[in-house]
Amino acid sequence: MSLRSFVTIVASPRPHVGRTLLARMLVDYHLNGERKVAAFDLNARDAALAAFQPKHAIYSDIGEIKGQMALFDALVADDGVYRVVDLGPDAFEKFFLVAQDIRFTDEARSRGVAPVILYPITPDTASVDAYAALARLFPQATLVPVHNEMLGPAQHRDKFPPHGKGAALLHVPLLAPGLRRVIEQRPFSFIETSGSAAADVPLDAHIEIQRWLRKLYLEFRELELRVLMADLQGSIQR
Amino acid sequence: MAKPTVILVGADKGGVGKTTVARTLLDYFVAHQVPTRAFDTEAPRGTLKRFHPDLTEIVDVTQVADQMKIFDTLANSNATVTVIDVRAGLLSPTLKSLTEIGFLDSAKKGQINFAVFHILGPSIASLNEIAETAETVGDANYFLVKNFINNTSFFEWDPATYSSYFNRIKGAQDITVAKLNEMACEQVEVAGTPFVSFVANKGPNGEAANYSFVLRGYVRHWLGNVWSEFDRVKLMDLVGSDTGTQSAAAS
Repeated sequence: MSLRSFVTIVASPRPHVGRTLLARMLVDYHLNGERKVAAFDLNARDAALAAFQPKHAIYSDIGEIKGQMALFDALVADDGVYRVVDLGPDAFEKFFLVAQDIRFTDEARSRGVAPVILYPITPDTASVDAYAALARLFPQATLVPVHNEMLGPAQHRDKFPPHGKGAALLHVPLLAPGLRRVIEQRPFSFIETSGSAAADVPLDAHIEIQRWLRKLYLEFRELELRVLMADLQGSIQR
Repeated sequence: MAKPTVILVGADKGGVGKTTVARTLLDYFVAHQVPTRAFDTEAPRGTLKRFHPDLTEIVDVTQVADQMKIFDTLANSNATVTVIDVRAGLLSPTLKSLTEIGFLDSAKKGQINFAVFHILGPSIASLNEIAETAETVGDANYFLVKNFINNTSFFEWDPATYSSYFNRIKGAQDITVAKLNEMACEQVEVAGTPFVSFVANKGPNGEAANYSFVLRGYVRHWLGNVWSEFDRVKLMDLVGSDTGTQSAAAS
C-alpha cells in the first residue's frame, strides 16, 4: 500500500534533549506544506508542546485504556492527516509497551501511514540501550537518530545506526542562544504567527530564525523523500 | 482418520470464564484447520452459540436424548474435535454420567481422546473441587486452567497452599489464561464474534467492522498468549491431527 501520511514519534527516555523543539518544528513544517496536522503531547510534567501549539496539539494520557484508544486509534487513522507525538521520559516505556502489544507499526503501514521515530541521541547507556531495543522491536518503523547540534558534537553516533526504510542521521542545526530564548516564548508558531509570540520578533532575529528553519525543513523533506522512495522501491521489487 | 477427541470445559462455580476458554479452544482448532463442533449446555438460550453459531448446538446434557446426540455421533461425525461447554456446577455430575454410560471406559481403551479443562476460580472452595473432579476424571487428560479474570494470584504467593492443590493430581497440567483488559473483553462480547474475527475486524457475518485498533491489538496479544499455552501442553498432539501447522496465533 502506498504511503499517504506520516506519524512521527519524537521520543527520548532523557529530558532536555530538544525533543519538544523538534516536535514543534515538525508541526510547523507540515503547516508550511499546507497539510493537516495533529499533535499529541504525552508529557505529564509540563505538556510544553500543547502550550506552544495550542491549536494543533493536545495533551494525551495513556495511563488507562481509554487514553490509549484515543491516541493509537487516531495515530493509525487513514485520513491523510500528518501526526506528531512528543514522547518524553514520563510515558516512553508505556507508549512503546502498548505499541508493541498492539503491533502499532504493522497496522500503521498496512493503512498507508509511515511510522517514523525521531530519536535525539545522547551518549548515556540508557539512551543507547533504549535505541537498540526500539530497533529490535519495531522493524517496520523508520528509526532515525537525531543529532541536536545544540547539545554539542555527536561523537557517539556509531552507537545509533539508522534503521528501517529511508533512515539516516538527521541534524538539528545550531541556533544562537539569544534566538533560542526568542523561540521559547509560549505560544509560538513560525507559521501561524497571529496570536503567537512570533508576531513580535524583531526583523533581524526573524531572518536568522527563518534561515535556521529552512535548514531544518530541508532535513525533514529529505527524510520524507527517502522514506517514500524506499517504500516505492519495495513495492516495485514485490 | 483421526480418533475423535472430546474436550469437556467445565467448572463447578459460575463466573470463572469457562465459556471464554471454550471460545479460545474453538478459535485454536479452527485456526489449525481441525474440523470441530461444539455443544453448548446452557440450554435453552446458550452462551457459546452466540459467538460460534455455525459450530455450536445447544443441548441439555442432563437429558438422555441430548447425551445420545453428543456421544452416539462421535464416530461418524465430520468433526475431529468435540468441545462441550458444560454448565457451571455440572462438571462433576457430567463426569459421573460419562462414567455410567461407559464413555470413560472407551477413553481408557484408547478409542477416544478425552480431555477435561477444569476452569478454576480464585477461592479455596474452587480449588477444593480439584480433588472431587480428579476422582472421576480417571485417565483423561486433565488440565487445570487458571483463568486470571481479575488480579487473583491463585495462591502462588503461598507455595504450601499452591502445592497442596495443584500438585495433588498426578499428570494434571496447568494452563494459564492471562487477564484480558475489561474493555476489550466487553467489546468482544458486544460484537458477538469469535475472538479471531474481532481481531480481523470482521462482524458476525464476516462483514467489515470498525472495532478499535487498540482493543483488537490487545485481544490479538492475549489470544496469542493463550494459544501459546495450548501449544506448550501439546494440545494438537492430543488431538492427533496431522495438519502439522504451527499456531496461527491471531496473526
